[in-house]
Amino acid sequence: MERIAISVAALFAAVLVGGAFVFVSGGVASCRSGLDIAGVTFCYNPMQVFYELFLGALGNPLQGGWSPTNLSLAKTLQQTTLLIFAGLSVAVAFRAGLLNIGTQGQLVIGGFVTAITVVFAESIVPGGLVGMLVLIPLGVLAGAIGGGLYGAIPGALKAYADANEVITTIMLNFVAVGITSTLLSWQFQDNNSTTAQTAPVPEYAEVPTIPYIGFDERVDFSLLALGFAVVLMLGIAWLFSRTSFGYELRTSGIQPAAAAYGGVDEKRMTVATMSLSGALGGVAGAFWVLMVHGRWLKNVPSIGFDGIAVSVLAGSNPLGVGASAFLFGMLDSGKSAIGSATNVPPDLVGILSGLIILFVAMPEFFRMIGTRYVDVRSPKPARADGGSVPDDNNKVADESGGEDDA
Amino acid sequence: MRKRFRRTREFIGRHPRAASLSAVAIVLAFLWATPASWQTSTLRLAVPIALAAIGGIFAEKSGVINIGIEGLLIVSAFSSIIAVYWLGDGGATMGVSNLWWGLLVGILVSVLFALIFAIVCIEFKADQIIAGLAIWLISLGLAPFASRIVFGSPNTASVARFGSVTVPGLSEIPIVGYLLFDTEPQVYLMLAGTLAGWYLLSRTTFGRWVVASGENPKALDTAGVDVRKVRYAAVLLSGVFAGLGGAGFALGTLGTFAGGGDTAINGRGFIAIATYLLANYHPVGAVLSSFLFAGLNSLQTALQSAGYAIPTELIRTIPHMSVIVVLVLVGRTRLPDAAGDHYESGED
Repeated sequence: MERIAISVAALFAAVLVGGAFVFVSGGVASCRSGLDIAGVTFCYNPMQVFYELFLGALGNPLQGGWSPTNLSLAKTLQQTTLLIFAGLSVAVAFRAGLLNIGTQGQLVIGGFVTAITVVFAESIVPGGLVGMLVLIPLGVLAGAIGGGLYGAIPGALKAYADANEVITTIMLNFVAVGITSTLLSWQFQDNNSTTAQTAPVPEYAEVPTIPYIGFDERVDFSLLALGFAVVLMLGIAWLFSRTSFGYELRTSGIQPAAAAYGGVDEKRMTVATMSLSGALGGVAGAFWVLMVHGRWLKNVPSIGFDGIAVSVLAGSNPLGVGASAFLFGMLDSGKSAIGSATNVPPDLVGILSGLIILFVAMPEFFRMIGTRYVDVRSPKPARADGGSVPDDNNKVADESGGEDDA
Repeated sequence: MRKRFRRTREFIGRHPRAASLSAVAIVLAFLWATPASWQTSTLRLAVPIALAAIGGIFAEKSGVINIGIEGLLIVSAFSSIIAVYWLGDGGATMGVSNLWWGLLVGILVSVLFALIFAIVCIEFKADQIIAGLAIWLISLGLAPFASRIVFGSPNTASVARFGSVTVPGLSEIPIVGYLLFDTEPQVYLMLAGTLAGWYLLSRTTFGRWVVASGENPKALDTAGVDVRKVRYAAVLLSGVFAGLGGAGFALGTLGTFAGGGDTAINGRGFIAIATYLLANYHPVGAVLSSFLFAGLNSLQTALQSAGYAIPTELIRTIPHMSVIVVLVLVGRTRLPDAAGDHYESGED
């Protein structure tokens, strides 16, 4: 309960600090109209920015003519699907006490393996429905194996050579980009295009949409994929709570010595966890290829890094990952809404997710405020602090905005 | 492998003079055998890595693992460029070149971020690794955000760079003169920073406090020193060093800052962490091992410009791969005992 309260409070705090930051940076930007205070024109209206960010991501439900299958919501759900996979990938490792920052690299490798496997298998497998039923599972499996093997590397390095997994996974992210782009230009570049990308997978190998539930055609989103993500999420939750593997994994995270005493082979556990985590990252890459683009592009968005934010906000709880992924899906989709409706650079979303991580990392901050304003014995100490956050935050906000004045 | 390292250390401990003489001989032979252009570019590329590593040593020795050092490099680099651009490219303010003001701004911004990180970790007992990652991710978003506001694109405009400063007389010394005394200000700063860092950490009371605060904060507390203050000072110091490295790199070598993707810093802060782990937290050792990574980096640039038909994308990741190799060979160096832990003084 307190976890949820802290996550919600962290979210509010991040929005407040982010809003203050947007307002201050508006004082630096140049614009025709804005709010004039003491000779400085503040161009950006934080309220408008967050309105566009959150409601724009849902397709502006407060305005007339809203339908649940609109373009923005489809985009939000598309990102949610990918972020569930990426968030689960990070969460699985976090629960075992391993900080897998390499989901991005595992996603890049997994997606690449998916694309080349499906393009290769296309020539063997018949087309149509049969092709769909064979190629999609094959592609996802290939992505999972590719990402899993790539995740096993830092796992093995950690287990057998004691190499810190935070640093190795970050380095492997860079290496993944190097490997895939080299392979791409060596063999797999789509010759009909100047963009750095692989040949397209056949249309029937793209994740199909359910007929009659027509989300906007312009966005590649499939409810089936979201359904699969939710099933996988429940599966991981079940794995954690009902299987001995999950129990051993969680024990290794909380109390490694106790786990070792209980007979867990620590080294194998590390490799297994990182492989599972990498496989989930690979699945994210597979769906990025099979659902969103129908091919692998060299320019991979930072879904893997967002996965860290998703998992941190969810407290590495698989079920929480769903809600948290939806929130970050909104941020990703709202990015384009800010871009079109305001002049604020959409990179703001990256700053916001960083702020959310920062605030979730300091539960003590909210506990302090919570105990100051609320009776400590009350069952929900931190929930009530939403309103009291600004006092202490303005200080931080001024500091973080300070470099513009400098 | 690790056993061999230990024997080497024991040998060095027993024969310090022989060890240092042979080290100097190896360095001189190396300098004599390699091309000068490669050496100078190695020195320049080592600036952000070496200075960030020295900063990281102070933070980690005091018990605060500063994995956000990459973020500090990023913010100092782009803010220094923006400051120079605003003050006027190529001009001077109050008689001092704008480049130096840019350097100062870069350091201040980096210290500001280090302060936020310190408050979050020390005051609010945040998980240091997660908070460090957050600082990195915020900087990754902030660089293109600020750049878009000022320049309308994720990449900043180009500004003039630091020119070479030649020390008369000293630059005539054979073999090392042209390298150490005919170079750019940021390289001098790196060399001075190395000596300052080494002196501060191993020869002053403050240095002993930093080490004690990481190894045994309780003892330090008992001796009447405020552990929190020592840790604050150490983390802020890591901000100073990283700011010097990031701004020096931007103003001396890059002249512009690409904010897209991994930004122009491209993981150098994380390489710095591997660097000081390799050197087992010794400032001078960290700078020497930063030459290893910088050398690989400049080798890669040299190969590319020489027109060898090698896949550039893969070559570009050679420093990153070598970090992994180094971590595997070195294994876990002994972290300070209290690193990563929050320290709570018994009294209020």
